[in-house]
Amino acid sequence: MENPWFTFSFADFSYAFLSVLLEGVPFILIGTLLSGVIDQFLPSRVMVRLLPRNVFLGICLSGSMGLVFPMCECGVVPVIRRLINKGLPVSNAIAYMLAAPIVNPIVLLSTYAAFRGQNAAEFTLLRLGVGYIVAVIVALAVHNLPLQWILRRGVVSEVPSVAQRPRGAGFLFRVGSALRVAVIDFLDVMVFFVLGVAISALFSTSVNQELIMPLALNDWIATFSLMGFAAILSLCSTSDAFIAATLIAFPGVAKLAFLVFGPMFDLKLLFIYSAVFRKRFVAGLAVGLFVLIGLICVRLRVLGL
Amino acid sequence: MTVSVQRYLSAGVLTIWGVMLGYFYYSGRVASYLHPAFHIWMGVSGIILVLLAAGMLFLPGTSESSCEPGCEQLHPQQTPVRGALAAIVLVVPLLVAAAVSPDQFGAATVNNRGYIERIDDLPSYTPYAEPALPVADDSQVASTGEENGSYLPKNEAGQIKAQTVDLLYAAEEPTMRADFENKEVELIGQFMPARETNAQGDRFNLVRMFVICCAADARPVAISVQMKKSESIAEMSWVKVTGKASFPVESGRRVPLVIADSVTLCDPPEETFIY
Repeated sequence: MENPWFTFSFADFSYAFLSVLLEGVPFILIGTLLSGVIDQFLPSRVMVRLLPRNVFLGICLSGSMGLVFPMCECGVVPVIRRLINKGLPVSNAIAYMLAAPIVNPIVLLSTYAAFRGQNAAEFTLLRLGVGYIVAVIVALAVHNLPLQWILRRGVVSEVPSVAQRPRGAGFLFRVGSALRVAVIDFLDVMVFFVLGVAISALFSTSVNQELIMPLALNDWIATFSLMGFAAILSLCSTSDAFIAATLIAFPGVAKLAFLVFGPMFDLKLLFIYSAVFRKRFVAGLAVGLFVLIGLICVRLRVLGL
Repeated sequence: MTVSVQRYLSAGVLTIWGVMLGYFYYSGRVASYLHPAFHIWMGVSGIILVLLAAGMLFLPGTSESSCEPGCEQLHPQQTPVRGALAAIVLVVPLLVAAAVSPDQFGAATVNNRGYIERIDDLPSYTPYAEPALPVADDSQVASTGEENGSYLPKNEAGQIKAQTVDLLYAAEEPTMRADFENKEVELIGQFMPARETNAQGDRFNLVRMFVICCAADARPVAISVQMKKSESIAEMSWVKVTGKASFPVESGRRVPLVIADSVTLCDPPEETFIY
């Protein structure tokens, strides 16, 4: 390796940092505006009534909701925060949160386009399938955990239900309240987003990317190291496939792990999740997803990826 | 922190973000940061953020004065320190980065990311056609026959206005290569010294950044340029190169190489990225 492994340039860091901020803000804004609307205009318990009573079917349905309500990983967190407030079981919310950035039509199209000429249909279906299965497994695992182990204090109770709203509240009042909820969520999420993007920008501009190339030689090492790489790069799920497709030296299973793990957990999400979930739960989620996705993807080697 | 102060602080932060997004959009700086598909979203977001700030100040339901007893849960209060810290985290890095950012990467990041010097390393690349039947001599392959049309635009001197990525494609695909090989070309890109395949010390890399979504995912696409005499040019300066395109075989593969007649400093093109 000719270049040093670390070369910091504040100007380059600022440039990369700013570009991700500018790209991410519209998506977070959409998510938080939606969270405000959900909060003020979605009647409490309607979510519970709409979902199947069977826990497994409910989680399966939640995991596929991204096909109808596509959300990126940045925007989905404020949405599930409000859905939880509206009575959506946390396990269903987590199924939607983890699956929606992958199980959605935009990401499927971009994955297919990125892998043209590299078993595109196979890669797209595997990404969809593994992402969905992992989201359902994690949601089922979370289902029996007490809420106080999962959610940060105040997340459930901080915004009252519609029934608690002042009597006689008119439409304009509800719009104002929706706006206020959206602003609170936006600012909360943005604080964590800024921190996550800063770390990601530091890595993507300062660390010599040749460092990762020797890791491609072994399936196990390649798979787990690409997941780590995905976590550090913090790419948007709509564009990560284009990066993965260029990692020619890496085995297909490692690229699949990159594409499934990245949208579910990365540096910016570590911070964004912390706005809703307890730190211990976020750490457990990170480790669980890392191990589960890694093991599933390495086993898929039998498909000849 | 009182609800009023929190409300004004939130409105202030939203206003700063909205104004910054608007500034980047209307000043055109956004073109150096995002793929064109995202520009309008950013501009609209700036307007919405400013409207949200106004709404925070004036709409009912957003202030404590609209509360009745029992609805204080609507207004979770932050501690003064936490509120101030959040505002600092949200505002200061944004303003500092906007002031410091040179709207392009420097040599450090380009070196760290490594060059794309083969077309099959380019994100989203797929061969556009099945390979032609093998021929004994590449020169027998016909060009696309469109060099007089819009496919290959030319400058006033009759040189083909090419992009670095065009020559990477041409190195890989014989039909396209025939369009460029031994033809006079003009290219604009950023200057980076060549560290490999430069035994004579007369080559440099002409770099353009290939972007999928935003500058953070930009990858440097580079071709080699051979100069008649060595030039002292700062790294990542924008240069215009005119010369003859060639595709020699080096280290067992065909590579694009421009034999330059002139290398001159120039302004950045309107569109600094390639997509």
